[in-house]
Amino acid sequence: MAAWVKGDAADTDAAVEAAAALLAAARMPVFAGLCADVAAVRAAYRLADRIGASLDPVAGPGLYAELGSLSAGGALTTTAPETLGRADTVLVVGSRPWDGDLVSEIADTKPVRGLSAGDERTVLALGGPRNGTSRHVAYGIGNVGLDVAIGHLRAFVRGHLAGEAAFGDLAQKLASAKFGVVIYDAGEIGEAGVDMLQGLLKDLNEKTRFFALGLADPFQGRSVLQLAAWTTGQAPRVGFGRHLPEHDPWRFDSARQVADGEADAALWLAALPAPRPDWLVQFPAIAIVGEDSADARPDTAEIVITVGVPGSSAGGAVWNERRGVIGYVPASGNAVAATAAGVIAGISQKIAEKGASC
Amino acid sequence: MLTRIHGGRVVDPTDGRDAVGDVWIENGRVVAPSERKPDRTIDAAGCVVMAGGVEVHSHIAGGNVVMSRLLLPELYVSESAPNGHPFAHAGGSGSWVGANYARMGYTTAVEPALPPSNALATHLELADIPLLDRGALAVMGNDDHLLQLLRDGESKDAVRDLVTHTLAHARGLGVKCINAGGASAFKDGVLKLSLDDEIPVYGLSTRKIMTALLDAVEEIGVPHPLHVHCNNLGLPGADDSFVSTLEAAEGRRIHFAHAQFYAYGVVDPNDPSKGGFRSAAERITEAMEAHPNATYDVGQVVFGQTVTISLDILRQFGGRKGAKPKKWVLTAGDAEGGGVVPFLYKPRGSVSSLQWAIGLELMLLSKDPERTILTTDHPNGGVFTEYPRIIHLLMSREEREKEIATLPAIVGERSTLPTIEREYTLSEIAQLTRSGPAKLLGLTDRGHLRVGAKADVAVYRDSADRTAMFSHARLVLKDGETIVEDGEVVSWRSGRTLELDVEADAAIVKRSETYLQDRFGQGLDSFAVPDAAFPETEIFEDVACRA
Repeated sequence: MAAWVKGDAADTDAAVEAAAALLAAARMPVFAGLCADVAAVRAAYRLADRIGASLDPVAGPGLYAELGSLSAGGALTTTAPETLGRADTVLVVGSRPWDGDLVSEIADTKPVRGLSAGDERTVLALGGPRNGTSRHVAYGIGNVGLDVAIGHLRAFVRGHLAGEAAFGDLAQKLASAKFGVVIYDAGEIGEAGVDMLQGLLKDLNEKTRFFALGLADPFQGRSVLQLAAWTTGQAPRVGFGRHLPEHDPWRFDSARQVADGEADAALWLAALPAPRPDWLVQFPAIAIVGEDSADARPDTAEIVITVGVPGSSAGGAVWNERRGVIGYVPASGNAVAATAAGVIAGISQKIAEKGASC
Repeated sequence: MLTRIHGGRVVDPTDGRDAVGDVWIENGRVVAPSERKPDRTIDAAGCVVMAGGVEVHSHIAGGNVVMSRLLLPELYVSESAPNGHPFAHAGGSGSWVGANYARMGYTTAVEPALPPSNALATHLELADIPLLDRGALAVMGNDDHLLQLLRDGESKDAVRDLVTHTLAHARGLGVKCINAGGASAFKDGVLKLSLDDEIPVYGLSTRKIMTALLDAVEEIGVPHPLHVHCNNLGLPGADDSFVSTLEAAEGRRIHFAHAQFYAYGVVDPNDPSKGGFRSAAERITEAMEAHPNATYDVGQVVFGQTVTISLDILRQFGGRKGAKPKKWVLTAGDAEGGGVVPFLYKPRGSVSSLQWAIGLELMLLSKDPERTILTTDHPNGGVFTEYPRIIHLLMSREEREKEIATLPAIVGERSTLPTIEREYTLSEIAQLTRSGPAKLLGLTDRGHLRVGAKADVAVYRDSADRTAMFSHARLVLKDGETIVEDGEVVSWRSGRTLELDVEADAAIVKRSETYLQDRFGQGLDSFAVPDAAFPETEIFEDVACRA
């Protein structure tokens, strides 16, 4: 496995030793990224607790848009397989859901379970790209944002507004569904949009069944969220500076901590591909990155350690978006010796040997 | 190492022991008294010595438990613990769960709702609960694959094979059905379901689904009987659902989850929608006495804020408007899904006081504590850390009277609790919390202190203040090693996750692979719980089927 310390090639043990020294000397270390398998993130939480670090997953805006709405008002959710198998009506909100294959698969198939089995599926789009590649009925939103448009639609569903042909028609279609699903990307519609969307679903469920299918972020945010909840009882972001987990999305925003001079060392964990923050290269930092990734190079950070990539050169429990669960993926090729979890455990061990703690 | 726990009051109802004596331990097991000099002697004078507690129904892991933390993060409080286990003081975390059970002298706990579609995450979470042996019950009864088999009139063998395969693949300890057919019916617009109502599309009923599962569990030889969450939980008249479900078992072994929530008789039989409910504890007790094939856990209510968690989405949808605070989550999952609804059992409120009374009434009326398991259906009736207080109330009429005196008159008007004189003995408490649940789960190696038992032992300072006594064990041994001293965890170790040792027939494996690929676009691998997924080794331990 490749590793570098201050630009020079090093063996993994030496890089782990250097990483332990860097973190042991830090007063306020931050762990960012967390785009890795569950075992690696679990190891990062344990190390953070030991040295009083904070943790900030790269799966940012979408995760927090959903969490804010969830803790404020709750949610109605479903899965992609349940959508494909049961939904007679699907509303696609915004542009991002059209990026993958799910919408076209929905448009090309019929429900096979439930009361609507065998019926044609109604596919509706609110504020979508109007690209015509999949069968659907599009509803434009003019110059307003998606959150405002959803609020507008909700007013029609509740009967507070009437008379506008397009939204009135859309509201009627939603209300006549037997099992409907709204597909959206929380990062695109924002917390206010998610909040309004969930309110819309609560209203619809007074008369029928309607659920949300929020697309997962591509950076393991949902598996991090689960592990964080069972490990600390709370969602990320979280800090351990006072020897107890403190959840605070503003205080433990790693970019803010670095920019404001609060942090003095960082560990960037990206065994799976994730966008590296600009500040990493100029900061006392360790990067644990996937072997053969774009960031597996000496100038990524002061200390760089490459590790096996879950599903490729290592096995690991990762988010399975199709199924909406954590699933295990074995190494598809030769498994490499160093895993991210093992490297972090090694750093933790070295710090313990130094007798350092926060 | 040979250990002698010396001079304590040893309480083991399975062996007729309730007297001052010794317990000998070696190599993680209880052994016969030895003439050798012990390597360690634990002075238990003035103490009560029992087997480690066994929990059969506590929601301690899984997607809905995770969701409850995100929905109501303020429910638990985290405390600073610079020298403790990582996260044990993080309120509501898995480590917190393990630590708090251990402090009370519990050494085994079972999560009653393991969705096969989300088995890996549930097991990863269970594995992060320290100190305890864990297990989980695989949930069936709303999954399309099973309902298809039943709709198509396939053989009992086919159903048995699917249940076997689900158990093996999800690595469950037993099987549970939750409002069988209810989640499927809910997705098709149904809002109320009773035992013989038709499940849309499938033409089945709860009775048909449940009895098919009862047969399968018996034929496989699952030690734990089918764990049943009935229709109509929490509604006036739910006692009818309980009794009719009990009769539907037709003598087969059956376990009822959280019976308290079904011990609600209607006040006015001529108009069940009016007047709320009254205790049906006497009716439930009589029905249980007439059906020795059945057991139940209580689901005792405790006053205060909690968050209810259930895969019974039909019921949770019905309860959404009682949410306090007013927020809730409902997931239409691949089979059951789940509902998370915060709830306040209002201190001295009339409804919550009656619920509180009914749970105690059930336990105090029971003639067979081994078939009456103490639970709060954590966190649905309240947090499990209230067990010591509940034990205190069971053991002291005076303590009950003090509490009842603070409650509204409805407690006496609609339940018999104030008239009950019975006080539980320590042996009966051991039946309620040790021998009963261990027998129920088929875990013959625990719940007692006979020779050969696992050396899971709790030592309590005997005190009239049973709340204090059972809150902080003086000493707890797990597999013979000390994990708790004076109510504090002194050694952090991992237990095992108990899974049933079953092997699926090759034909059903192939058939399931085809079904899953067709439905999910992914096969059995995506549902798997491989050892390689766990950061630590030796997570699982086999439990044998019944002969």
